[in-house]
Amino acid sequence: MDLIFLGAKAGLAVLLLVAGGAKVADLPGFTAAVALFAPSRLPRRLLRAAALALATTELALGGASLAAPSAGWLNLAVLALGCGFVAVSGAGYALHRDRSCRCFGALSQRRFDAAAIARAVVIAALAVLAAQPARAASVQLGLTARLLLLGCAAIVSVAAYTAARAIAAARDAQIGWSS
Amino acid sequence: MSGMAATGAILFIVVAIAACAAAVLAILGTAQLAMSGPAAIERDGLARGERAPAWSLRAADGAGHRSPPARPLQLIIFADHSLKSFPSVVDGLRQLRDQDPAVEIVVLLRKRSEMAEPVLRLIGLEGIPVLAGSAALYADYNVRVGPFAIFVDSAGRVRASSLVNHGWQIAKLRQLADVPLLPAGGRSARPPRRRLAGA
Repeated sequence: MDLIFLGAKAGLAVLLLVAGGAKVADLPGFTAAVALFAPSRLPRRLLRAAALALATTELALGGASLAAPSAGWLNLAVLALGCGFVAVSGAGYALHRDRSCRCFGALSQRRFDAAAIARAVVIAALAVLAAQPARAASVQLGLTARLLLLGCAAIVSVAAYTAARAIAAARDAQIGWSS
Repeated sequence: MSGMAATGAILFIVVAIAACAAAVLAILGTAQLAMSGPAAIERDGLARGERAPAWSLRAADGAGHRSPPARPLQLIIFADHSLKSFPSVVDGLRQLRDQDPAVEIVVLLRKRSEMAEPVLRLIGLEGIPVLAGSAALYADYNVRVGPFAIFVDSAGRVRASSLVNHGWQIAKLRQLADVPLLPAGGRSARPPRRRLAGA
C-alpha cells in the first residue's frame, strides 16, 4: 500500500512537470486552448498570462511535490488541480469536442474526448490517494534528498520543454518552412 | 528521524527517481516517434463546420481584408515565401484565382516578412494579398505547419481544411467547400474525423 501511495505521489508530480514544461514550450498553442473557455472579448495578453500562470503552477506544484512530499497543503493543491482537470475535460467534451487540449503541448495530440475525461478522473483519483495526510507525514526528506529530487524535477521539465520545442521545429522543417 | 520515516523517505526517493527516469525515457521515445512520421499533423487545422477565428488585417498595399469574407468563400493559405518550394500548389492557387471569382484567396504569414510578398509575386501569385498574421492566430486555426489551406464561408464556418502539397488538393478542397454543411445542433452535425486531402 505504501508503494502505491508513494508511486501515486511521485507519478503525479512527474506528470505535472512534463505537462508544465511542454505547455511553456508551446505557449501560443496552450493560450488558444485557454481561450476556448474564456469570454471572447478577453484581451490576448490576459489569456497568455493565464496560460503561463497555469503552466508555471503545474511546474511549481510538480517540483514542490517531489521535494516536499510531506507538505499537506501541496497534496490538497494537487487534488484541486486534478479536480480542475476533470471539470475542464468535461466542459471541453461538451463544448469543444475533438479540439486539441494542448495538455502536453507538442508532445501529444490529446483532444477533448471521452478518453480525456477518463484520464482526468484517473489523475484526480491518484491525487485523492496521494492526499492522505498520515502517509504523507511519514515521508520526511533531508536537505540533500530535497536538492536531489529538485534536480530530477528540473531534468524532467527541461526534457519535456526541449522535446516539445524540437517536435514543433521538426514539423516545420519536414514541410520545408524557413521561418 | 525514526526508522520508519527513514524507510519511507528512501522508498519515496527511489520511486521518485524511477518515475523521473521513466518520464525522460517516455519523452525521448515520444519525440523520436513524433519526428519520424506525418501522423502527428493529421488532425491539425479546424474541422469542417467549426467556427473560424474572425480577424481584420491590412495587406502591404494598405487594403483591408477580413474573415469572415464578403465573398461567398475565402481560401486562407498558411504559408510564407517557402511556398515557392511547392510549385504544384502555386499552380493550383493560380488556377483557382483565375477561374473562380467567388473565392477570395489570401496568404496568411505566421509573422511579418519583407521577403514573402515579392517572392510570391515573382512565382506568379500577384493579386493574392499577403497578410501578416501571428503565432497566436496560427494557434487559433490550430495550424503548425504549411502550406495549410482552410476554406471559410461568409458565415465564418470552416468548409474545408487540410495540409496541401499538390495543386489537385486545392481543387479537391474547393469541391468539398461547396458541399453544404449539415444544420447545427444534434449529433449528426458533428464534423467527421478529418484527413489530409488525398491521404
